[in-house]
Amino acid sequence: MSASIANYRSRSRLSDRLRRWLGKTGWYLILILFALLTAVPFLWTGLMSIRPNSANVFRPNQPPEILPYPGLIGWGAGQTTARREGEYTILPWDSAAQEGAEVGWWVDYGVLLEPQIENSPLFPYMFPATTANYYRVWTDVSLPRYFLNSFVVALAVVVLQLLTSSLAAYPLAKMRFKGRDVIFYLILSTLIFPEQLTLIPTFIMAVNLFGFTDTLHGLVIPFGANAFGIFLLRQTYQSIPDELIEAARIDGAGELRIWWQILVPLIRPGLATLAIFSFVGSWNSFLWPLLMLRQEELFTLPIGLAFLEGAFTGNLRTVAAGVMVATVPIIIVFLIFQRQFIRGLSGAVKG
Amino acid sequence: MASLEAAEKPKRSSNAGIEEGKRRRRRMRLITAYGFIAPAMFFFVVFLFIPLIAAVYLSFTSYDLVTAPEWVGLDNYQNLFQDPLFWRGLRNSFIYLIVTPILIVLSIGLAIVVNRKLMGIPIFRTIYYIPAVTSVVAVGMIFEFVFAEPSGLINGLLLSLGLIERPINFLTHPDSTLISIMLVTIWRGIGFYMVIFLAALQAVPEELYEAAAIDGANRFQRHLYVTVPGIRPAIIFVAVISSISALKVFEEIWVMTDGSGGLLDSALTLMFYLYRQGFINLELGYASAIAVVFTIVTLIFSIANLRFLERGTDVR
Repeated sequence: MSASIANYRSRSRLSDRLRRWLGKTGWYLILILFALLTAVPFLWTGLMSIRPNSANVFRPNQPPEILPYPGLIGWGAGQTTARREGEYTILPWDSAAQEGAEVGWWVDYGVLLEPQIENSPLFPYMFPATTANYYRVWTDVSLPRYFLNSFVVALAVVVLQLLTSSLAAYPLAKMRFKGRDVIFYLILSTLIFPEQLTLIPTFIMAVNLFGFTDTLHGLVIPFGANAFGIFLLRQTYQSIPDELIEAARIDGAGELRIWWQILVPLIRPGLATLAIFSFVGSWNSFLWPLLMLRQEELFTLPIGLAFLEGAFTGNLRTVAAGVMVATVPIIIVFLIFQRQFIRGLSGAVKG
Repeated sequence: MASLEAAEKPKRSSNAGIEEGKRRRRRMRLITAYGFIAPAMFFFVVFLFIPLIAAVYLSFTSYDLVTAPEWVGLDNYQNLFQDPLFWRGLRNSFIYLIVTPILIVLSIGLAIVVNRKLMGIPIFRTIYYIPAVTSVVAVGMIFEFVFAEPSGLINGLLLSLGLIERPINFLTHPDSTLISIMLVTIWRGIGFYMVIFLAALQAVPEELYEAAAIDGANRFQRHLYVTVPGIRPAIIFVAVISSISALKVFEEIWVMTDGSGGLLDSALTLMFYLYRQGFINLELGYASAIAVVFTIVTLIFSIANLRFLERGTDVR
């Protein structure tokens, strides 16, 4: 034993600094490699979305065009006024502009910049970035509409689930009554069954009985209760001391008032976790809206995205712009509320 | 407790009165409790319990949404077991399970790396988690750009460097479609599971590592003999949830095969076959039979998975 300690010590003294430095660099290499693996697909999509034309980024025996400089930048109709001959594809709103419709502003910064950067050794790697693809996807498909639909549906699901879960979890955690355990295990056991099993009958009811097709509430009501949410909030309630509730009862407060005025403020962390969990779930849900929605103006964001490919066949830059518009806001919200997000998604599943 | 109740109520001399009050209070409590549970229960009954029973019933019928369901007994199941596409779907779903061990190894590895106290670690953790908050549909589309032929990220790069002569058929060859989609699932899952393993790692006592180091274990051995047993519950947990979500995978396949299930049904999983039979062909009885089999497969699997891992790590 003592020999091995000595051995361990001497080894660690040997080339202490060099070793630590090498170790650190090695760790950073791994970290950066994984960061690149994560980020590059997003960056690639972003790159596609600002390309002015369909020329390939990578070309044989030529440097790849991966560095953007401002090219045709702007918003609105009437892009042709700033367009250089032959450089850009003609976009559909050109005709609208000629008919005297609303004209946006477009400036080709490339014309101004190019003389200055032409001789730079990096110039072969550069290409003029444009906002045209974003403008096109924003107007030709109703992306703002999809956003709004997704938001309204997700918000409604969150409100409904928070309400039903926080109501149901209270007696399951804090009251003694006949059948409590049976009900709790009944609710918990539903987590075993995959939603695929209930999908078909729910679909039949939604179509034949409730008329949920092409409605937004049809995307909310089937998800009105969340067994996992009840499980989660029950645990949160259990951390509240019984004396608090007893005292309120002695003061003559009704159960509903105790719940709303005393308990709901106390279980806020649990509610926040559940809110993020169910918001992200609803926001990203795909199959159910796919089955329910036919009308384009009711599309949620994932459905709208999936159909973007059909709407712009062959124009990958516009599809890429749509993907960026759909993902970047969520990533920004995540960056702001990281801690809550991670607790809501990874933490919540752990229970 | 009883005396307190009695004091609150108008005084009654007889024992029966106290009993009566007690019973009434108990009934009130019961009504209150069930009142709180009722809203949630309503949704469970209508959208879970009834559909659960209906699914089993429908699997014995032939139903197309228009004419009334017709009882066909075990026909659906008999047809199912003779249906080559069903077996294809089952096989592909099992192949998809390969993502589970890969995800476990990669995300534990990554968790060990980000568990080190280095400058800038929080930034890296954040970056790794981003795919988990991005919708599967968007991720699928992003990877269509990455996999595109011949000008996608991978093919474009490799072709221009002259490393390959013909583009790799990520999504346009029956042999590679499923594997390509599995890569996307792995890519999206690593950061998510990393966070779970990170939390588990931080709960492993530091002294255990020191003790192992003193005993002469090298870095790899320390992780093998300290980390792995230390985070065993997390491993079992991730194994179960990632297997189940691998069996359920649908959106990636829908997006990356444009709703087709892949060339020659090469990416057709059981879940995708359920979708196709149920909602494209409107064979709702048949699809229900698939759903029942699917449920049995997931049930068996989560139990088997648990048992296997439990036994596997017991041998030390």
